[in-house]
Amino acid sequence: MISCDDLSVTLPGANGPVNILSGVHLRVAKGEFVSVLGTSGSGKTTLLRVLGGLQSATGGRITCDGVDIAGPPDGVVTVFQDYAHSLLPWRTVRRNVALGIEKLDKTERDSRVDEALAMVGLSERDGEYPWRLSGGMQQRVQIARALAMRPRVLLMDEPFGALDAMTKASLQDQLQQVAELTGTTVVFVTHDVEEAVYLSDRLVVLSGSPANIGLSLDVPLPRPRDQIATKERADYLELRHEVYAALGHKVGERASG
Amino acid sequence: MAERVNVLGAAVFVFGLGLWELLVRTGLLTFTYLPPPSEVAVGLGELLGNGELGTALGHTLFAALTGWAVAGLVGVAAGSVLGLVRPVWTYSMASLEALRALPIVAFVPVAVLLFGFSVQTEIMVAFYAALWPILLNTINGMRTEGRLVETGRVLKLSRAAVLWKIQLPAATATIVVGLRLGLSTSLVLTLVAEMVGNPAGLGFLLVTKGQALQPGQMFAAVFVIGVTGIILNGLVMGAARLAFRGQLASAGEA
Repeated sequence: MISCDDLSVTLPGANGPVNILSGVHLRVAKGEFVSVLGTSGSGKTTLLRVLGGLQSATGGRITCDGVDIAGPPDGVVTVFQDYAHSLLPWRTVRRNVALGIEKLDKTERDSRVDEALAMVGLSERDGEYPWRLSGGMQQRVQIARALAMRPRVLLMDEPFGALDAMTKASLQDQLQQVAELTGTTVVFVTHDVEEAVYLSDRLVVLSGSPANIGLSLDVPLPRPRDQIATKERADYLELRHEVYAALGHKVGERASG
Repeated sequence: MAERVNVLGAAVFVFGLGLWELLVRTGLLTFTYLPPPSEVAVGLGELLGNGELGTALGHTLFAALTGWAVAGLVGVAAGSVLGLVRPVWTYSMASLEALRALPIVAFVPVAVLLFGFSVQTEIMVAFYAALWPILLNTINGMRTEGRLVETGRVLKLSRAAVLWKIQLPAATATIVVGLRLGLSTSLVLTLVAEMVGNPAGLGFLLVTKGQALQPGQMFAAVFVIGVTGIILNGLVMGAARLAFRGQLASAGEA
C-alpha cells in the first residue's frame, strides 16, 4: 500500500540545511494500523508529511499503491493536530465536513456527510460553528471531514495530542472502531507510548539524528481492545516496557505508569 | 443579533445637549456665533425646507460612494494579487510604503490641479482615500494561515477552489474592516475636496454657511455629516453581516 525505501529528507534550518530523516524503510500494508513513535523533534511529523505528499523527499522512493507520491495522493488524507487551525471557522460543522466532497452531487454529498458525522458521534451538532464546540468535538469534525473523503489511508499527526486524558481515550476507541469498520489503513504519529501500543497493529520508533527506524514492533494484542482490560494484560505491559526502553527510558525511572 | 439600546449612553447625550442649551442661554458661554441646540434644529429645518441640504447631501454621497466603490473593486483585486503573489509584493512594497506614508490631504490640491473644480476631483480624492485601507487590509487578509491552505491541498481542492473556498472567505472579515475604514476616510476627504476644490456638496455648504454668519445652519450641516457617517457605517456592516454571516461571526464581528 504505502512504502518508502531509503527515504531521506533535508530541510533548510537557521544554521544551514538539517538532515532530518535518513535511510528510512517503511512498509504499511492495506488495513494496517501503524504508529510512528519518537521523542519531539525526531522527525515523525516530517515523515508523515512526506507520506501525505505535503513535503517532498530529498532522496529515496516513496510510493502509494506503486505510484510515486508527488503531492497529496488520491485516497490519502492527513489529519492535523491543530484542529482549530484546520477547520474553517466560517463554515458550520456540516459544511466543514463537506469541504472535500463538494464536487459530488447533493444527495451523495449529504449522505456521505451524514455517515461521517454519525461515525464520530456528531450528527446532532452539524449546524454549529466549530469554534462553539469543545476541542475534542472539533477534532472529531476534522476526522469526519477526512472520513467523508472515504480515504484508503488516514495519516494522523498527533491527532489527540492537545486533548485531555478522558477525551483522548474516548476518541481512541472511536478511531479504533471506525478504522475497523471501514478497513482504512492508518499511519498514526504520536509521542504517547500507551496510545501507540493500545491502538496499533505495529509500531515503529524513530530515533537517531538524522532519524531512522530504530525499532519495529508487532502488537499482537487481540481486538477489539478495551481501555481497562487491554491495558491490564501482561503482554500489553511488556510491549510498553519494550518501547520505553527503545526510547531511552530506564526501568524504574518513572514513578508509575 | 438585536442590538440593545444603550439607555445610559443616550441619557448622557441628551443631558449634554441640555447643558449646552443652558450654558448658551444663561450667557455662561459667550462665543458670538455659538448657537444653542434649539437654534441648530431651526437651522436644520431651514436647510431641509429650502432643499439646500438634500442637494448638497446627494452630491457628497454620490462623490464619496462612487470613489469608495471603485476603490473597493480596485483595492480588493490589487490587494489579492499583492497578498497572494510573492514576487509582485516584493517589487511593489517600496512604492506602496512610500505612497501610503504621504498624507492623503496633500493629494487634494494635486487632484484639483489635475481635474479642475469638478466632481471628478472629488471622486478621485474619495477613491484615493479609500484605496489605502482597503488595499492594505486585503493584502493582510490574503496572507492565509498556512495550515488552512494545506487543509485544502489535503482535501484535494484545486488551486482555484483553495482561493475561492478558503483564502477569500478567510480574508473577508479583514476586507470588511478595510471597506469600513475606507468609507469613512473617503467621506472625510470628499468634504475636504469640497471645501478647497469643487464648490458643491456638504463641505461647501458648511463653508458658505460659516462665511454667511449663519451658525445655526452651519452646525446643522456638521450634524448631518456626523449622522451620515454613522448611517453609512451601519449600512456597510449590516450588508456584510447579511452576506458573510459565518465569516464575521467567526471573527467576533456579528
